[in-house]
Amino acid sequence: MSNPILRVESLVKRFGGLQALGGVDLAVDAGEFRAIIGPNGAGKSTFFNTLTGLLRPDSGRIAFDGRDVTGESPHRLARRGVARTFQITSIFPDLSVLENVQVALLARARRSWSLWPRARALGTQRARELLALVGLAANAVKPAGTLAHGDQKRLELAIALAGEPRLLLLDEPTAGMAAQERLEAIRLVHRIARELGLSCVFTEHDMAVVFAVATRITVMHQGRVLAEGTPAEVRARPEVQRVYLGGKA
Amino acid sequence: MKARHAVLLTAAAALVALPSGLTDFWIFIATEVVTFALYAVSFNVLFGYGGMLSFGHAAFLGVGGYTAALLVKRSGLPPALAFACVPFAAMFVSAAVALVIGFFSVRRTGIYFSMLTFAFQMLLYTIALKATPLTGGDDGLTGLKPPGLLARPVAYYYFALVITSASLYVLYRVVSSPFGYTLRALRANALRVQYLGIDVQAHRLAAFGLSGAFAGLAGAIFALSNGNVFPGWLNWTASATPVVMTVLGGTANFLGPALGAAVYVVLEVLVSGRTEYWPLVMGLIIMVIVLLLPGGLTGLWTTAIGRRGAGAGAAPSPTREAR
Repeated sequence: MSNPILRVESLVKRFGGLQALGGVDLAVDAGEFRAIIGPNGAGKSTFFNTLTGLLRPDSGRIAFDGRDVTGESPHRLARRGVARTFQITSIFPDLSVLENVQVALLARARRSWSLWPRARALGTQRARELLALVGLAANAVKPAGTLAHGDQKRLELAIALAGEPRLLLLDEPTAGMAAQERLEAIRLVHRIARELGLSCVFTEHDMAVVFAVATRITVMHQGRVLAEGTPAEVRARPEVQRVYLGGKA
Repeated sequence: MKARHAVLLTAAAALVALPSGLTDFWIFIATEVVTFALYAVSFNVLFGYGGMLSFGHAAFLGVGGYTAALLVKRSGLPPALAFACVPFAAMFVSAAVALVIGFFSVRRTGIYFSMLTFAFQMLLYTIALKATPLTGGDDGLTGLKPPGLLARPVAYYYFALVITSASLYVLYRVVSSPFGYTLRALRANALRVQYLGIDVQAHRLAAFGLSGAFAGLAGAIFALSNGNVFPGWLNWTASATPVVMTVLGGTANFLGPALGAAVYVVLEVLVSGRTEYWPLVMGLIIMVIVLLLPGGLTGLWTTAIGRRGAGAGAAPSPTREAR
């Protein structure tokens, strides 16, 4: 625990009188595959959006790779190597699948200010590799908006990976999928993260998905961390069973 | 691809051959078509590619026009030199004004962006109207003339054609560049673009400045063809013109707005020569286009040759821009 890739200390976020985050602490080691679980309204999404610069915390500190990044804008965080996906899939629907990844690659290469060269052929090889990695090689020329929901999620993953991140934050990566599809989807992410040596934090509702891949689990409840530990430890905690697992697990 | 090139070459040849069959009046109209083609395309770079619906694009047409007029009339430079400076000065001043307006406007999106651009344009309109010593007030600046041979309508037409062609080529390269791709991505999903590590507002501002510079150039070229500039160039009705031209021609095709400009200008001359109800006719045409041909005239072409334009162009249809 000496040198975590992500360290969050006493993060507080209020919306008017509502305290959405009441002092969240979190430390994620490099190479971890961390799940954040908790019932609806536990503050997972607020936590994610605060982590990724979309919301400004009222107090607390966020450090990425030892550097204080509290309150930094999303584009600066992305340049530092933090990538994220969204609960509601966030892609470029009217660009082709290939172009979706190309745009991300061009951004990564800091070429978005390049005004004269033709972009059509730039980064296509790498883009195709990334599409192959997530299993979308055959769909490269389709408009991204016409892909099936699960495929759009995969595309979003490819877009995130194009930024060569060191930390991948996935907000409900299996939202809206059928049960079987969910396990496949999270295993894909898991395999890729391992191959590329990425650290990963994800929120998830489906316990089967969580227990299939998570190295550690953080349980949130009412804007705070209720418990944290390995899947076995978390499963055994009576307070976790009470508020969230409902005794089922 | 082949069909597209053939159409493009035919159009280019027709534009070059055009003056030989036309009276001076129609050559003057052809010059207007060419300059408004640039004005409309510059608007669509912002709208169709960048997803920013400016209600104040006339600000730059007007600033370009007044810059040209002041250079030719008031600078005291030899006419040929003043004229040579016009394109550069117009682009420079319009870009500067666009960067100031854009600095405030691109912070907002959707209707708020539109209203900000509208407000700035009306501010400039008022200045043009009231700063009489500089702008001539209500009377505008008149008696502008290009020097020497360029004063002939045919020569000036070719001059305008060259400027517009070169400008359209530059803009085409820009929208096809990594910057252009980024702009299209930004139109589709600005939040996602942020998480790619891109400063969204800076890119929006750059597009705004670029678009303004070329609108200003169009304004300058048109001012010297027209012989005068009036405050009305900065009025909101002049900002509606490129919107209509773009909807008419289609946002998804780079040259769509240019075609729209040609149809608009020629129709205006033909219809308003016969009846005073030109706006009524235009209104009906727009209704037909929006209801039956949301891709505009170029959308019809795209459908006809069965090309899937999904990844290739700008916005798929003008109705999807209300973000």
